[in-house]
Amino acid sequence: MYALSGMLQLQRMYIKSLSLRHFRTYMRLELDLPTGPILLMGANAQGKTSLLEAIAYLALGHSPLTHMDQQLLHWSAVESGMPFAQVRVEVVKRDRVETLEIALQHAHLTNGNTRLDKRIRVDNRAIRRSALSGHLNVVLFLPEDVQLVSGPPSGRRRHLDDLLSQVYPEYVDELSEYQTAISRRNALLRHLRDHGGDRRQLEPLEETLVRTGVTLTLFRRRVLALLSLHADRYHQELTGGAAWLHLEYQPNFDPQAPPQVDYQMGLRLRERPEVMVDVATLQNSYRKTLQQRRERAIQRGATLTGPHRDDVTFMSGGYDLGTYGSRGQQRTAVLALRLAELQWLEQETGESPVLLLDEVLAELDRTRRAYLLNLLGKVQQTILATTDAEMFPAEFREQALKLRVAGGIITPS
Amino acid sequence: MGNAAVPPSVTQLIQTFSELPGIGPKTASRLAFFLLRGKSELALRLAESLQGLVENTRFCSVCFNVTEQDPCPICANTSRDHAVICVVEEPMDLLALEGTNQYDGVYHVLHGALSPLEGIFAEDLRIKELEARVGAGVVREVLLATNPTSEGDYTAAYLITRLKALPVRLTRLGRGLPVGGDLEYADAITLTRALESRQEL
Repeated sequence: MYALSGMLQLQRMYIKSLSLRHFRTYMRLELDLPTGPILLMGANAQGKTSLLEAIAYLALGHSPLTHMDQQLLHWSAVESGMPFAQVRVEVVKRDRVETLEIALQHAHLTNGNTRLDKRIRVDNRAIRRSALSGHLNVVLFLPEDVQLVSGPPSGRRRHLDDLLSQVYPEYVDELSEYQTAISRRNALLRHLRDHGGDRRQLEPLEETLVRTGVTLTLFRRRVLALLSLHADRYHQELTGGAAWLHLEYQPNFDPQAPPQVDYQMGLRLRERPEVMVDVATLQNSYRKTLQQRRERAIQRGATLTGPHRDDVTFMSGGYDLGTYGSRGQQRTAVLALRLAELQWLEQETGESPVLLLDEVLAELDRTRRAYLLNLLGKVQQTILATTDAEMFPAEFREQALKLRVAGGIITPS
Repeated sequence: MGNAAVPPSVTQLIQTFSELPGIGPKTASRLAFFLLRGKSELALRLAESLQGLVENTRFCSVCFNVTEQDPCPICANTSRDHAVICVVEEPMDLLALEGTNQYDGVYHVLHGALSPLEGIFAEDLRIKELEARVGAGVVREVLLATNPTSEGDYTAAYLITRLKALPVRLTRLGRGLPVGGDLEYADAITLTRALESRQEL
């Protein structure tokens, strides 16, 4: 098990308590959590996934399952007319205990409308979203994970952004600045197309895109190279050394793209030589492309070039698993990716993340199930949701804290 | 507010109040009923003030500040330095700067900031007029005093692209730490800006 060997100095964070108010199916929940494996058992639609979602919400600053915070509110909170929701955890770290909290509350706007306000607090002090990075790290395994390989590029981008955002506050800031500039530029492009106007208004927005966009690209390239290395090793362990895996970054804007590599069966390509390009060259080149494609962008009313169109492909055995891989191959690749994330988070932060697994075992065959369970025994805290506890070996069930989830209420089992 | 117990003239006032910034339906009702409660003198004075506001004020044809005389007292004041123009988003910003008693140049009010997402573009602001003033030749310095927000920064950057070809000095209001604040509690972006705009002593 290579992930944790030689890393005995690792600090391991864990969640000591979780408190929910008006979150999804939970009216109110106060739950103390031990270290080690925790099994959440219950039928569907009882609140197992919501509990994992709440924890991920504090790690990411947003839900991994929805863009709309409104959906996180308990129905009774919505009906009460004064919607309010709160998620709070105590995280035990090496030398201290931290309280993380996100509260959602309706605020009246000056125009008479209301908006859902989101307040993030660490140890009761309000902070910006980016300052949340690094306080709690999680790796979340979801049943729909296989979509990461076969689904649209937006899912892979969001996933990569979420991972980077857990660790680097500057990435959160750059990404948000980039996204604002994209929305503004697109609105301006449509306005120029439909009503005309001064095109020089594009320039400051393009400068922002150039500055933040190149930073995003460099971050993504560096992290993907590391993730790919880890994922490849896990993939080989999972397949008994039969197949390599390469996560290939496909930047939408890449002025000095290395020549297309010819993947052949049996050829193991661990890592391409990094092309060293200085930031100024990248920026100039991106700026030029944006300017050259302005007319087309105006016609289309959309920004055509930049990291908002990046992609990642899962290459194995010489082909793209997203297009040609079997369901089983895709599942193995995504499991390798999740494990690679765990490893990467450990290396990058010096702390072992909390693992959250939603119905993941059901998807795996016996060998892979055993492999994963063996690994779980070695991390500090894992929360697993399942409809069928029988899936776990008796030995594992004995060590785990077993909780029954029914209708938003949790009882020891 | 479709309550039959409330007469239409009251409902209408509540509706009107709630169109004002910072006033929700609750506050609007409270204000309306406060005016009803015997104080007819106050309500009439309010009506008079509002009428005066609409009839007597206009925008200064030079700086677009709100004024009763055109040009406004600031633009008409010959003892002020007409070669320095301070560009602000709103008349309220001008008032804040005047409150310091430290600025003796003149102003230009844009009436907003660029915000494509809210449908506010260059042609919606008093930018052409600013360009014409600066291009007329008397101006030596343009001090950009838009808000230190994302929209304000965008507006300032755009003004720079439009004005940089003209022979004037372009300056930007300094940014940094609030007086009486605590370094420890300042956010990273403010601190970064404060570092960037540090001064030689």
